[in-house]
Amino acid sequence: MVLALLLCVGVGSQVQGDPLQISIVKEGAKKDSVSLAGLRASGPNGQLFVQTLTRDLELSGWFKVSTGREGTITVVGGLLETGSGLQTSSKVTWPGKNFNWSRNSASKAEVRQAAHTLADEMVKQIKNETGMASSRIVFINRRGSNNGDVYVCDADGGSMFQVTHDSAGVIGPQWGVSRNDILYTSLKPGYPTLLRQTIGGSRRPLASFKGLNTGGAFSPDQRRIALILSYQGNAELYVLDLGTAKVTRMTTTPSGAESSPCWSPDGRSIAYVSDRDRAPNIFVVDVATRVSKRLTVKGSQNVNPSWSCKDKICYATLRNGMFQIAMMSPSGDGSSELIPGQPEGSEDPSWAPDGRHIICSARNTLYILDSLGDPAVRLIQSSGNWRSPDWSK
Amino acid sequence: MMNSRMMIANIALVCGLLMVGTGCESWWGGDDKTDTPEITDVPGSITDSETGKNVTGARFEDTCKKVDGITLSPVYFAFDSYALAPSETAKIEQVAKHLLANASHVLVVEGHCDARGSAEYNLALGENRAQAIRGHLANLGVDGNRLQTRSFGSEKPAMAGSGEAVWKMNRRGEFALYQK
Repeated sequence: MVLALLLCVGVGSQVQGDPLQISIVKEGAKKDSVSLAGLRASGPNGQLFVQTLTRDLELSGWFKVSTGREGTITVVGGLLETGSGLQTSSKVTWPGKNFNWSRNSASKAEVRQAAHTLADEMVKQIKNETGMASSRIVFINRRGSNNGDVYVCDADGGSMFQVTHDSAGVIGPQWGVSRNDILYTSLKPGYPTLLRQTIGGSRRPLASFKGLNTGGAFSPDQRRIALILSYQGNAELYVLDLGTAKVTRMTTTPSGAESSPCWSPDGRSIAYVSDRDRAPNIFVVDVATRVSKRLTVKGSQNVNPSWSCKDKICYATLRNGMFQIAMMSPSGDGSSELIPGQPEGSEDPSWAPDGRHIICSARNTLYILDSLGDPAVRLIQSSGNWRSPDWSK
Repeated sequence: MMNSRMMIANIALVCGLLMVGTGCESWWGGDDKTDTPEITDVPGSITDSETGKNVTGARFEDTCKKVDGITLSPVYFAFDSYALAPSETAKIEQVAKHLLANASHVLVVEGHCDARGSAEYNLALGENRAQAIRGHLANLGVDGNRLQTRSFGSEKPAMAGSGEAVWKMNRRGEFALYQK
């Protein structure tokens, strides 16, 4: 059964642009039906809550929202308008089980946040999986040569916010320790500098040494940052310990350049790109022993690794002149599989916190891919050259 | 009546507030748009765990004056490579000659890539192109302390468009001279 849903909601007030036209067609992987008909929404905030929840449940990949009262899962309750916000009181029921959920929201942003929270709670309680509705995505709008800025949005593409106003080269934004903390490489000072920024707040250079400063990736324990530096004469992978303010070199490749580090979920290994064997490939280094091993064998280039909570590495692989997203086991058994249903020329993959979905860039916009087989969903509808997405964990 | 020590303290306080208020003390300060910005946690200085030395951040771009009016030819590279082609080394010898004859000049070697491939990888590839040229200059007798590198990856093409005729002009190393 094909389920098509068309919603129109406004883009977050911070960003001027086209109205967000959202079209989801999800099929493929098995889903449970959910009825939201028992949620009585009379005013605009109630409608916003139901719209947001509906889209979140569809995007989660585990549910399909029915239009009637029938559903394996029912959500019933009241949505009371309070002038600027909403009082939500609801009960979620599925065979043999149920839970109650209530929330007060004082603004439109909080109404959306509340819907995201309920969607994640349903994924957790009903499917025993991690949800992604409350997570955020950081990415770049590359307007032209050496001209871009960092943006963030919610996992449903809404609440888009422009973080930087540099109109300068910017590369590889990544999430830090919270959903308000990002790292990125800026070319604004005339050389690559790794910056740390609080969204809506201040920023500071984390590394601006001679040569290259890029690739900041926080470890899962939030105490270390993997980064690429060349102050010793060649681009190498280092780990910065924030407690001691010491950097330790992880690679020694006089004839190789390293890039794009990302941590394993247990914090013991870092996957990264190196061209020590001529073409760029994905390697993994054991942080304790500093021993690296190559993981990718197929493809003329393998770049941009991302390591999921379910212990899979997805990456962009150049095959037959076209970038595609593949995933593999970090064990290095040499096997890899292409993610189904991806648009042509997909690049820059990053796993969602659910370990199932992947955000990537293709055709100047961002798409959500599903490793379990649902079709790709276009996330950003407004015009721009949207690139380099990173999904918060 | 205010004594001189208090006066100095007050002047220092006012200057400090002015610097914070205008946010123009650093290039990155422009985004402090909120009333109560959170201070982002970054280490003040970073030490190399093997050498025990501070990693220095003094860049020629920030500490020296740019030298204009001297043309040094770009060095070109093959696709996905930072090997120096024999046809290009004469250009690097010209640069070495200039530096050996002008002791007050220092150099930033700038690495660039064509538009294909990942932005992150291209930034590293551009850096290694610059490092390959830097290494060759050092072999020709230029003091390594007078040489720094910067990569722009594929962010600053010399020529717009696509196709090999464009790409080959964009896979390059450029030279920026500074006065010590």
